[in-house]
Amino acid sequence: MIRRLRLSRFERVIATALVLAAAVPLAAGVWLAGRLAEENLALGLNPRVVERLRSGPGLYKDLFQARKALYAEQARGIASRLPVTRAAQQRWLSAEVRRVPRLRRCEVLAPGGAVVAEAERPAPEGEWRDAVARASLAGGGELECTFLVEARWFADLDDARELAETYEGAAKLRPQIQRSYVRAFAAILLAWALLAGLAGAVLARRTTRRVGDLVAATRRLARGDLGVQVDPGRRDDELATLARSFNAMVREVRESRDRIVYLEKISGWQDVARRLAHEIKNPLTPIQLAFQQLENRLRERHGEDPELDRLVADAGEIVKEEIGTLQRLVEEFSAFAKLPDVRPEPADLGEVVDEFVRTSPQLLEEADVEVVRAAGPCPVRVDRAMFRRVLANLVRNAIEASRPTRARVHLGVARATERGVLTVRDEGPGIPHEMRARVFDPYFTTKREGTGLGLAIAKKIVLQHGGELAVGAHPEGGAQFTIALPLDGI
Amino acid sequence: MNRRALLAVALLPVLAALAAPRPASAAAPGVLEARFESRQGRLSGTVDLTPAFPPDLERLLGNGLTNVIAVHLALAPARGGDPVAVWAREIQVLYDVWEETYGVVVRDPAAPRGRRVTMASFAELRRFLSDVKGAALGPAAVLGTETWVVTARVELNPVSKELLDRTRELIANPSAASRAGGPSRSVLGAMASYLLREPPPGAEVRVLRSRPFVAAEVTSR
Repeated sequence: MIRRLRLSRFERVIATALVLAAAVPLAAGVWLAGRLAEENLALGLNPRVVERLRSGPGLYKDLFQARKALYAEQARGIASRLPVTRAAQQRWLSAEVRRVPRLRRCEVLAPGGAVVAEAERPAPEGEWRDAVARASLAGGGELECTFLVEARWFADLDDARELAETYEGAAKLRPQIQRSYVRAFAAILLAWALLAGLAGAVLARRTTRRVGDLVAATRRLARGDLGVQVDPGRRDDELATLARSFNAMVREVRESRDRIVYLEKISGWQDVARRLAHEIKNPLTPIQLAFQQLENRLRERHGEDPELDRLVADAGEIVKEEIGTLQRLVEEFSAFAKLPDVRPEPADLGEVVDEFVRTSPQLLEEADVEVVRAAGPCPVRVDRAMFRRVLANLVRNAIEASRPTRARVHLGVARATERGVLTVRDEGPGIPHEMRARVFDPYFTTKREGTGLGLAIAKKIVLQHGGELAVGAHPEGGAQFTIALPLDGI
Repeated sequence: MNRRALLAVALLPVLAALAAPRPASAAAPGVLEARFESRQGRLSGTVDLTPAFPPDLERLLGNGLTNVIAVHLALAPARGGDPVAVWAREIQVLYDVWEETYGVVVRDPAAPRGRRVTMASFAELRRFLSDVKGAALGPAAVLGTETWVVTARVELNPVSKELLDRTRELIANPSAASRAGGPSRSVLGAMASYLLREPPPGAEVRVLRSRPFVAAEVTSR
């Protein structure tokens, strides 16, 4: 678990780079946040604004005092003109209550407090608060006037007071507010930087894991493991391309090594074949000449010993047949030993196959040959004569594998990635899996009359073309040989 | 947490402020007129804080805004050292601009939930604020043979917890400050509000100190 969490050097570099990339603007951001907070607070908590807010209740105080003074003056005015008789006072008060704005009620109070005369009108719509103004009367007693004051003023006053107190308190805490904003901004940026670092580590891990796979594969390759392959993953990025290139490179190295090994082995076998051909061929002629001399001498004495004649005739048959066999063997060995180097020229693989089928009537007599060509050209470089020999060997092999029934041979030409592919398939019993590794070895054969050189020669020629020859099984049965040649111009 | 514990927690910064050595540039404390008496073994003090409430304070206290006055009395050895007893009172003063009276709410150990009083004039208010009677200063026995002083710390409009909370709410939800305030909250503001914890040191603080006294000067009742 700890090992999984431990960051590699590459991951540390990536994470550090991302944290630095986030942290460098962080310092500038914090400084800027400090300035912004300072400027915003200076704007929002401007001392003049706060002072104006503070003076709000004072304005209401002035307003209320002015209104109280006005009402007191109006009460004194009404009192100064108040009639003497009670009935007249009643009429006067009623008229005044109707005339004077916001005057809701008027009462004339005797010195003892008893109500002498009064007038009242209902309060208009809305919320009101009473404001009482009193005026002394000349003959004793007093006039009490109840005026109306808008109740909303008091609500507005409470609002103004609350707002002023809030802003005054905030103004008092201005340095602390500024610091808390800077800290909050720094905390957010820090969290952002940490998230960036975390994301960087995760991303780096996803990348470095694949790089690590490549490193491990490279080490295995350095130890000589040419079977190593790297999973390129599902993503189509540079690392996937690198992994695919690595796989292709390893594959090519492996194929080149196999090719070299095989060619060296074939070369050794060719040397053996040349010596064998030489060693067998040299005594054959003297044996043949000696036996001919023996036959000539005995022919002169023909009839003297009929039993000897018959014995010599039978021996002659055997000697000639065996010499013929040895001569064919010598010829095949010589042909194998003297395989010429290929001289590839540009050609279309499909056309080469078509030409082979068209010009090989003897094969068509022994087999039904079907050619399937994929659409489009398949440009390769081949030595037509040598390649014809490859095809002949493979088709011959298919014919012999199908015996005693008439062979059905399927030739297929297709274009794969960077390769032209030719398949030769029969419908015979196929080649057992355990024998497939040896079928291209010289002198390996399962046929009574075979020399075991046909597939070896075919493979050597294909390798000399820079291609590959592999044997497998077709899903529908039978053996399938696959020749892959590099496409020309790729 | 009981009431005493709450009071003790609230008084911790004051204790620290009272016990802290004063810088050389700090103004010398004014004289605190004080009388002490012992009743049933408990020491109580009556002090005159008039110098802490000058007449020109009327302008501030009569501005129609809620003003808070924090009064702390600390009993400490005259030679210096930590206070052995602290008494605190918080007074909220709101001048009613219509009624032209001072509405006062007093919170102290005797009335922790607050006691409402209305003053008709600033002179009456000033007398009320200045005259502190029966401030409980702990057991009288603590006096012993030591010489003591009582220090009064009067702070005008300290940053109270309520003010701090209100300011935090303001920066967390600035739109709520307006009448049409909506429910929207700012993330940065909320974080800044969370980080706004430290109240600033008191700006308007007046300190008075009694003359040194000993246990023999304490009137027993």
